[in-house]
Amino acid sequence: MTVPEKTWTRETVRSHLHALLGEHTQATGAAIADTSHLVGDLGVDSLGVMEIVAAVEDSFKLTIPDDALREVETVADVAVAIESRLEREGRLAR
Amino acid sequence: MSAALGPRTVVQAIEDAASSTKTGYRFIEEAPQGGGEAEPFFTHGGIERASARYGGALQALGARRGDRVALILPDNADFVFAFLGALRAGLVPVPIYPPTGLGKLAGYLDNTLHIVARSGARLLLTTTEIKRMLGTIQARVPELAKVVAVEGVRSMREELRPAKVTLDDVCFLQFTSGSTSRPKGVVLTHGNLAANVRAIMERGLGIRDGVDSGASWLPLYHDMGLIGFVIAPLYHLNTITFLPPLLFLKRPARWLETISRHRASISFGPNFAYALCVKRIKDSEVAGLDLSSWRVAGCGAEPIRAENLRAFADKFAPAGFDQRAFVSCYGMAESTLAISFSKLGSGVTTDVVDGAALWSTGRAVPLAEGAEGPDGLDRATAIVQCGGAFEDHDIQVFAPEDEASERPLGDREVGELRLRGPSLMSGYFNEPELTRSAFAGGWLKTGDLGYLADGKVHICGRSKEVIIVNGRNYYPQDLEWEAGKVDGVRKGNVIAFGTMKPNHDRERVIICFETNLLGEPERAAQKGEVRRVVQQALGLTVDDVLPLGVGVLPKTSSGKLQRARLRELYETGALLDRTSARDVDPIAVARELAKSQVGYFRHAILGGGQKKDD
Repeated sequence: MTVPEKTWTRETVRSHLHALLGEHTQATGAAIADTSHLVGDLGVDSLGVMEIVAAVEDSFKLTIPDDALREVETVADVAVAIESRLEREGRLAR
Repeated sequence: MSAALGPRTVVQAIEDAASSTKTGYRFIEEAPQGGGEAEPFFTHGGIERASARYGGALQALGARRGDRVALILPDNADFVFAFLGALRAGLVPVPIYPPTGLGKLAGYLDNTLHIVARSGARLLLTTTEIKRMLGTIQARVPELAKVVAVEGVRSMREELRPAKVTLDDVCFLQFTSGSTSRPKGVVLTHGNLAANVRAIMERGLGIRDGVDSGASWLPLYHDMGLIGFVIAPLYHLNTITFLPPLLFLKRPARWLETISRHRASISFGPNFAYALCVKRIKDSEVAGLDLSSWRVAGCGAEPIRAENLRAFADKFAPAGFDQRAFVSCYGMAESTLAISFSKLGSGVTTDVVDGAALWSTGRAVPLAEGAEGPDGLDRATAIVQCGGAFEDHDIQVFAPEDEASERPLGDREVGELRLRGPSLMSGYFNEPELTRSAFAGGWLKTGDLGYLADGKVHICGRSKEVIIVNGRNYYPQDLEWEAGKVDGVRKGNVIAFGTMKPNHDRERVIICFETNLLGEPERAAQKGEVRRVVQQALGLTVDDVLPLGVGVLPKTSSGKLQRARLRELYETGALLDRTSARDVDPIAVARELAKSQVGYFRHAILGGGQKKDD
């Protein structure tokens, strides 16, 4: 039996994601909301987005394929992309 | 040797390469976390067979000889097979970039619609997912008969009916990544490709048939990736390893790891790619690399900054990177791909000239590095040398207003670079007007400002005012249009431009606009809004936004905005002192005059005394 190395909840996913965005953007904690647009509100350019994706993949230990990025616009979209992968691997607690 | 064969069509090159069982193309696919790396390898024979299947499928789907086929294929292997298959079926492929997401879908759809309609494509081949995103495109372009998902094509087994293709036939249409309002389709024939491939591979790279191998993350809908790494290697049997472009942008280390692991000798990238490696690759990652096999590190497609390449060489020298591998390249889609390459094995060479004289007198006057002007400022500007014209090709410099290209300028005189030779496009597809204006007396106008020194190309600017950030072109008109949508911004009174000042490290994007609002908080809100709309629409980060009073932006007497003049005012800092140019305020003028008088008297009376006291 494999034991997931860490079990995430929707809350810990969000808080961890917000912390990552704080490190990789000019935006400060309070300015980062689920509805924030990565490009429009957080001042991230397309290269910056790819840097954030790499950081997300490393810290959640998952891969976000290119086609999943095509419709990502907001912070919530990123969280959903993370959660759906964690869920598939049995690493997301209900 | 392939050179003895004379010029060949791309179709002939695919067939000739098919007997090779050792060389071919490898496609790295991003593996899910924890999974092993997938990198299927196709020999050149395997590529010939796969392209026959895709070409046969396109014919079975109803594509007829000469039909344009739009390709939006994010997967490298799909793209290569479909592109080459289309050529063998006598079709004309039209590569289009896939959507990148990040909320720019509306702009993407407009652009794609424009290209599909302009090219008159009868068939569009893409993925199921992108097909869904394109929605009703078919209903909006009457000539487009079918939108086909590539997933079904992969398993089709229709036999190819090979078309007889000659050097004079159109090979494909390369739409220039330009203004979103109007990309143009550059028409390239098989003869153009044969000529440019020969120039690049034989003269530019000194290619060794079957020996040199390449690695590339470059997007295949762009000329450098498509011609440089898909088409040219077919002629010389070079093995190429392809990485998905987004994988490189996500993890730049993967590019260099690929070169290291597969002992690649040739790889190219725009300036920003080298800068990204310096910024993002950790020292611990450098330790595992061996870049000693990399003999040609080409740099092109955007202005080259010698300091970026130097930083790259410094960082990766411990991994065996040799700075002499750098080759500075100049090219454009209208000249198939390449115009000139710096000499192999000499690294980045710069010509140090008097920056002030360059623009004021139009002459590139050599200067010692670090030379100071009378104002104590560094006036030495280093300009990267991009080599001389290829055999059978000409490069000359003309005054931009010399519409018949009658009087070439002399050595070190700055003007517009113009080209002649067998690599030049026959024109823009179905755009007779634009095609006519692209040439002057038989020479192609590049729109680039530069000079020749000992026959070597030096580029110092662009007369087209394009802003290039991270390898992408942005037209100021597009930025201005978006900014003009913001409340309180005076429409038609917005100027966007790029500047290399103050640090010369990268292009900064500046937007200036006129507004009636005077309060600081209102102006600050406007600035934020301008940044936001531009970012949302174009995915571009604006470095500086300047709200100005009414009448401050420089215009010609006919009311046309003067971008170059504004850039100059911005760079010298004079813009901030400028209250109104057109509606002259007498009090402000008097104050300016007084200030300059004070300065004059202090200087004249105190002499150099002030400096000693400081």
